Amino acid sequence: MATREVISTGNELAAIAAVDAGCKFFGGYPLTPSSEVMHVISDLLPKIGGTAIQMEDEIAGICCVIGAAMAGDRALTATSGPGVSLKAENLGLAQMAEVPLVLINVMRGGPSTGLPTRVSQGDVLQAKNPSHGDYKSITLCAGSLAECYTETVRAFNLADRFMQPVIVLLDETIGHMHGKAVIPTAQAVEAGIVPRKSFDGPAEEYFPYECEADEPAVLNQMFTGYRYHFTGLHHDKNGFPTEEIETCRKLIQRLEDKVAMHEDELESYEEFMMDDADVMLVAYGSVSLAAKETIRNLRAEGIKAGLFRPITLWPSPAKKMKEYTDKIKNVLVVELNIGQYHSEVQRATARLDIDGLFKVNGRAISPNEIAAKVKELY
Amino acid sequence: MSDSKVLMRFTGVGGQGVLLAGEIFAAAKIKTGGQGLKTATYTSQVRGGPTVVDIQLDDKEIYYPYAVDGDVDFMLSVAQMSYVLFKNGVKPGGTIVVDPNLVHPTDEDRKTWNIYEIPIITIAKEEVGNVITQSVVALAIANTMMDAIDKQALIDTMLSKVPAKVHEVNKKAYELGEKYAKEAMAK
Repeated sequence: MATREVISTGNELAAIAAVDAGCKFFGGYPLTPSSEVMHVISDLLPKIGGTAIQMEDEIAGICCVIGAAMAGDRALTATSGPGVSLKAENLGLAQMAEVPLVLINVMRGGPSTGLPTRVSQGDVLQAKNPSHGDYKSITLCAGSLAECYTETVRAFNLADRFMQPVIVLLDETIGHMHGKAVIPTAQAVEAGIVPRKSFDGPAEEYFPYECEADEPAVLNQMFTGYRYHFTGLHHDKNGFPTEEIETCRKLIQRLEDKVAMHEDELESYEEFMMDDADVMLVAYGSVSLAAKETIRNLRAEGIKAGLFRPITLWPSPAKKMKEYTDKIKNVLVVELNIGQYHSEVQRATARLDIDGLFKVNGRAISPNEIAAKVKELY
Repeated sequence: MSDSKVLMRFTGVGGQGVLLAGEIFAAAKIKTGGQGLKTATYTSQVRGGPTVVDIQLDDKEIYYPYAVDGDVDFMLSVAQMSYVLFKNGVKPGGTIVVDPNLVHPTDEDRKTWNIYEIPIITIAKEEVGNVITQSVVALAIANTMMDAIDKQALIDTMLSKVPAKVHEVNKKAYELGEKYAKEAMAK
């Protein structure tokens, strides 16, 4: 794939990625530390005939994004944890009605207004279940400047493939850090866009929610002669509300299975110096950068450490993690929360002796802290 | 020119333009074929709160984006509260530049670090004629003392980030910063 070298920040790269991936609409409300995503895309979209709107609040931000996506556009909103809390109800609507959109969450300290300018990874479980009810979240997490670009592009492609919201998690550190990134060219990204499926048969034979048990709805672009109904209620093949027992069961099971049966299309992780590792660190997002520095330092001292970094956080790369933890005894999960992904690693690996190093004061975990923990434990 | 890792830290209060100075350093290092990374931490009180910018310049890949406390080679400070908060990140024997009108190091500090006093803001305000150029004066002082990056590459990158109508005043700010840094080191 053709690449280019840029000097930028994570937030700016995410905004550029959205535009390169074909996003034509942004709706949102600025919220530290995500605001630059909105600043940059507000400048870019009007130049290509797109639209960026600052709405009255975060709720209105996602509502207009849902509208744009229903009309057929690729659409984005960006915020941080408190904004996701506000958007949660409508994320549920988008899950239920199968509306594809991308939400970028640049994580800061929580709960509530928390630590607005400080780094955190406290929204990992929120990303798994932002809204009530049963559905399966797709959440990607950037671990470098380049991935702020590439994961945002991937999010748009996955949203159209699975017809549901896709969350991209950045954090304050990675969103604001400024340095070099080697990313695909805009042409290469454009060439990789797969538009969402549409039905081109006779209008009277079009049933958007009548699909295979593990496939998403097929929502034709609006104003093209095909009629259907959107609702947050349980609905039939036309999208109209129903309480018919079997239809209700099948609908919710399909929302689960359209993701669960296709996890191979979603799985993404990085293995860093894992070949001969006898200490396995698990970290994601900006913390993985500290982990890599730690591994470089530990190996210079003769300690064979490696990093397993989930990139798709939800669904988690459970099988691959278990493969490693079946072989490696010493496993340390490092994250900027009190063990939100640690519990997932325990679940996925069926091991309760997985260690954790957690920090929740708005400050980054330094390589020295990780190295000290490794030496203390193993 | 140095070929090993250089860690610099600019500290002040929000709104002083230290963020841009960090971006210029990182970008200039990248453009000359190396690795450069700038991170900043600030408080929710953006104007007036303590701000710290970490600048890492290296020839090999930089992973952890912040300067590790105790490893910082050079710190420049234009606010007392930031100086006090962040001075201990500088390694013993490291270099600290302060604006003596705003920052007052203790006698103990002077024994621990190599402290230079340069009236950065007065230079910008009175000699350059524009207080906003203080970040360029600071850039010049840091680069002169650390010999971190080719001077012309740094100036070219700096000019690419400011409007053409203020190029001359910023060039003047750089030259003055360099002059004061050399005089301070010669003392």
